[in-house]
Amino acid sequence: MSDTDTTTTRDELTGYENIPVRTRIAEAPRPFLEWATVLIVLIAVEFGTYASLTIATVERAFVGVTALFDILLGFISEGAAEAVVDLQQGVSKFLVGVADAAAALPTLLSREVIPNQGHKLGPNGPWQGTFMGLEPAVAWGLRFTLLVVYALFLSYWVFRGWQVYREHYRQADWTPTDDMVGRLRGHRWGQFGILVLVLYLTMAVFGPALGPTTVEQNIQSSYSYEIEYYNGETGEVESIPVGDANFNSKSKGGGENVGPMSYDNYGRFHPFGTLNNGRDLFTFLMGGARITLIVSGMAIGLATLIAAVLSMISAYYAGTIDLTVLTVADGVVSVPRLLLLIMVSAVFANHWLGGIIDGGFILAMVFAFTTWPFLWRAVRGPALQVAQEEWVDAARSFGQRPRTIMHKHMLPYIVGYLLVYASMSTGGIIIGLSALSFLGNGLGINPPTPAWGRAVSLGQDYVSTASWHISLISGLMIVLLVTGLNAFGDGIRDAIDPETEGTEGEEAAAGGGA
Amino acid sequence: MSKVSGRTERVAQAGETMIKVENLKKHYGGGGVFAQPSVKAVDGVNFSIKRGETLGLVGESGCGKSTLGRTLIRLEEATEGTISFDGTDVTTLTGDELKDWRRNAQMVFQDPESSLNDRMTIGEIIREPLDAHDWKDKQDRQERALDLLTAVGLREEHYYRYPHQFSGGQRQRVGIARALALEPEFIVLDEPVSALDVSVQAKIITLLEDLQEEFDLTYLFIAHDLSVVRHICDRVAVMYLGKIMEIGETEELYENAHNPYTRSLLSAIPHPDPSSSSHRITLPGTPPSPRDPPTGCQFSTRCPAKIRPEEYAHVEHEVWDAIERYREVVRERSRMSLGTFDRLKRSVGRFSAYDDIDETVADLFDDLDVPADIREHVETAAELVKDGRPEDARSHLIDEFNGVCDMQRPELHQVANGGHLSYCHRHTDEYEDVDPVITRRTRDT
Ligand code: SF4
Repeated sequence: MSDTDTTTTRDELTGYENIPVRTRIAEAPRPFLEWATVLIVLIAVEFGTYASLTIATVERAFVGVTALFDILLGFISEGAAEAVVDLQQGVSKFLVGVADAAAALPTLLSREVIPNQGHKLGPNGPWQGTFMGLEPAVAWGLRFTLLVVYALFLSYWVFRGWQVYREHYRQADWTPTDDMVGRLRGHRWGQFGILVLVLYLTMAVFGPALGPTTVEQNIQSSYSYEIEYYNGETGEVESIPVGDANFNSKSKGGGENVGPMSYDNYGRFHPFGTLNNGRDLFTFLMGGARITLIVSGMAIGLATLIAAVLSMISAYYAGTIDLTVLTVADGVVSVPRLLLLIMVSAVFANHWLGGIIDGGFILAMVFAFTTWPFLWRAVRGPALQVAQEEWVDAARSFGQRPRTIMHKHMLPYIVGYLLVYASMSTGGIIIGLSALSFLGNGLGINPPTPAWGRAVSLGQDYVSTASWHISLISGLMIVLLVTGLNAFGDGIRDAIDPETEGTEGEEAAAGGGA
Repeated sequence: MSKVSGRTERVAQAGETMIKVENLKKHYGGGGVFAQPSVKAVDGVNFSIKRGETLGLVGESGCGKSTLGRTLIRLEEATEGTISFDGTDVTTLTGDELKDWRRNAQMVFQDPESSLNDRMTIGEIIREPLDAHDWKDKQDRQERALDLLTAVGLREEHYYRYPHQFSGGQRQRVGIARALALEPEFIVLDEPVSALDVSVQAKIITLLEDLQEEFDLTYLFIAHDLSVVRHICDRVAVMYLGKIMEIGETEELYENAHNPYTRSLLSAIPHPDPSSSSHRITLPGTPPSPRDPPTGCQFSTRCPAKIRPEEYAHVEHEVWDAIERYREVVRERSRMSLGTFDRLKRSVGRFSAYDDIDETVADLFDDLDVPADIREHVETAAELVKDGRPEDARSHLIDEFNGVCDMQRPELHQVANGGHLSYCHRHTDEYEDVDPVITRRTRDT
C-alpha cells in the first residue's frame, strides 16, 4: 500500500465517522428525501388518529405513574397525596382535551370521508348519507380495505426506511442484523406472525374508523344518539335512538338473529353480526383489540424490562445475587396467577386505581409481576453463557464499567431471546385477560368497555343456535392473535439462531442471498 | 505513535524487577458449612518478572496457569498473597486507582472466536478501551485505532468490518490491537496461538515479538507445552497443580532441567538429536483434582523419580509402580461419595458396588513377583474398599507406603545460577539426585 493510498483511506475513514448521520444524509439527500416525503404524506393523512392516540397514551401513562406516587405518598402525608391527585386531575383533563381536539382533526380514511351509515329513501330506493350513495356494506368494505392496505403499506414503508439507510447511509457494508433480516425473509411462518401482529395493531389504532359504527355511539352511550331509517310499514323515514334499534336487533338464536354480513331492520350493516344485546359485534371486537393490546403490551413490556435487567445483573455478578433473584422468582411463580388476579381485582374493585384504563392498568401490573420470573428464567441461561464469553473478560480487564458491559456486551445477545419468549408469553397474558373478562363479575375489563372475553361469554348460551357467530368469531380473534404471536416468536428465534432452524436453513440462506 | 497521556514516565531500566508475586493463592469456593473443599487453582506461587522480558508459563490444562494470569491482571481476586507492580501491591487497589492501573496490564485471550464481540465493528472493539478511559477526544481515539490496525498488520479499511468477516489469525490480531490500545507495559498472553492454524501461529508469534520491541512490552506467555515457548521466552516457569515446579532461563531450563516434571514434559517434545536424549517419560494417570491435592509434593502421585520409604527401597521398580497405580485407584474411590442406599447396604454388610477392586488388584499385581508383606497390605486395602470404606483403605496405604514425597511439601531449591529454581526433595543432600534416578528407572521400561 503506497503512502498516498494510506492517507486517503485514513481521511475517508476518520472523516466518515465524525460526520453524524444527519450530515451524511445532507451530502446525498435524494434517497432519504424520497423516502421521507412518502412517509410524511402517509402520516399526514392520518395525523389526527396518531396524535390523539399518542396523547391519550401519554395521559394514561401519566395517570398510572402518578397514581403509584399518590399511593406511596399517602403513607407519608395526606396533604402531599392530595396535591398529587389535584395535579393528576388537572393534567389529565388538559391532555384529554388535547386528545379530543386531535381526534377531531380530519383524516383521509375516516368515517366522515367514507361514511357507511345511512338510510334508504324508499323500499328499494337509493341510499342516502352513505359514500356516493353506495350500499352501507360496500361503503364499509371500501373503507375497511383502504385502511388495511394503508396500514400494510405504512409498515412496509417503515421497513423500507431501514433498507434505505442500509443502502445509502450506513458505513458498514455488512452487519449481523442483515443476516437476521435475510433469514426472516425466507421464513413464511414468521412472516405470518408479523402479518397478524400488523393487522391487530391496525385494529387497535384504527379501530374507531374500521367498524361500521363506533363504540361510543353503539355501545357506550347508545341512548344519546339517534339514527334515521326507512320504516317499511309506514313507508317513511323515521328516527330512533340507537339503543332502541339495538334492542330490536338482538342475536339470541332462533328467529331473533342478525348474522355475519347481514343488515338489521334499521339498514345497519353488521360484518360479524350482532351481539345478544343487539350491539355490533365487529365494533365491539375492534374496541376489544385496543384494550387488549394496551394491557398486554404494557404488561409484557414491564415484565421484559424487569427480566432483562435482572438477568444481566444475576449473570454478571452471579453467586449470591443470582441466588437471591432465583429465590424471589420462585416465590413469585409459586403464587397462582389467576387467584392473585381475582384477589387484586376484588381489592381494587371500588378504588379509583381500579378504574384506570377501565381496570386494565391494575391487571397489567399483576400480569407484569407474575410474568417476569418466566422470562427471567428463560433468558438466564443465555445471559450466563454470554457473561462467560472472553469479550466480557476483556472489557473487565481494561476497566469498563459493569453497566456498560451489560449494555454493550451482553444485552445484544439476549435481546433476541427476550423477544422470542416475550412474544410467546404475551399469548398467555392475552388468554388470561380474556379469561377474566369471560368470568365477569367485576373481573377483567370493566363493562361497558369492550373485551374479547366478555363477547365469548355473551355468546356462550347461543353456540348451538343460529347465533353461533358471537362466541365463535370472538374466540377466533383470540386464537389468531395468540397463534400469530407464537409464529412471530418462532420467526425471531430462527432469525437470531440459525442452528435451531434445521431443514429450513437452506431456504433461509437462499432468501438471504436474494 | 502518540503517547498515552498520564502514563507514568518510565525512569526504570529494562531488566529490573517489574512484577513480584509472593505467596499468591487463588482458591475457589469452599465457603460455607456444606460446600465441597475449595479448588486450589493457584496454591502459593512466588516469582518475579523483569521489565522487558518474556516469561513463559507452561503446564497441562487445569494446572492453574490461566487462573494465575487472570489474577495478575485482577480479573480474579487473589485469595492470599501479594502482587507488587513497580512496588505497589495491586491486589488491594480499588475504584479509580484500580481502573487507572488497569491501563498498565492487559491481556490477549486464547480463543479469538470468543474474545471479540460479534456485534461491534473492529474499530469499535479496538477503540473501546480508549472510550472507557476517556482518552483524549474522539478524533484522536479513532486515529489511534487506525494506527493500531496497521501496527498489528491489518488494513485500515477493516475498521468498519465485523469480526465475522475475519479469519482466526486476523481476529487474534484485533485482540492484540485492543490489548495495545492503552499502551500497557505488561501483557498477559493466554495461549495466544493455541487456537490457530499452525501456519498462522508463527506469524502471530513474530508479530508479538516485533510489538514487544517497538513498544517496550513485558509479556507473560502462557502455553500448554514447552515447544511453543522456547524461542519467544527469556525465562520459563513450569506449573503443576497450582504450584511452580521449576523456573529458570529458557535455554538453561531446556538443556538442564532438574525437576522430574519438567523432565517428563521435555521428553515429550520430539528431539532433533535422538541419541542425546533420554527415553521418553510417559506419566501414568491424570493429575489429581485440585480440590484434594496430595499432602506432600503436588507431583507425588505421578512422579517418575518419587522417593520411596526406606523399608521398600529394595522393591522392584515394576512392583512399586503397581503400588502407586493401586493407590491412585483407591484415592479416586475415596473421593466419590456414597448414596444413601449404598450407605444402608454398607451398614448391613451387603455392599457390593466396589467389588471390581479385585480385578484391579489382579490386573496390577498378578504378573509380578510381589513380596508377601506388600501383598498383604494390598489385600487389606482391597477388603476395606469392598466394604465400602475406601477412606480407610486409603489411610492404610498411606501408613504403609508413604515416603517423604507423600508427606512433606518440598521447597524451591536453587539448582543453578541465574535464578534457576526447582521444587523437589531430591535437590537436598539427603537424597539421590533426579537425573540418575530417572535414567535408571526409565531404562528399565
Ligand atoms: S518431591 Fe518427590 S514427588 Fe515431588 S518431584 Fe521431587 S521426587 Fe518427585
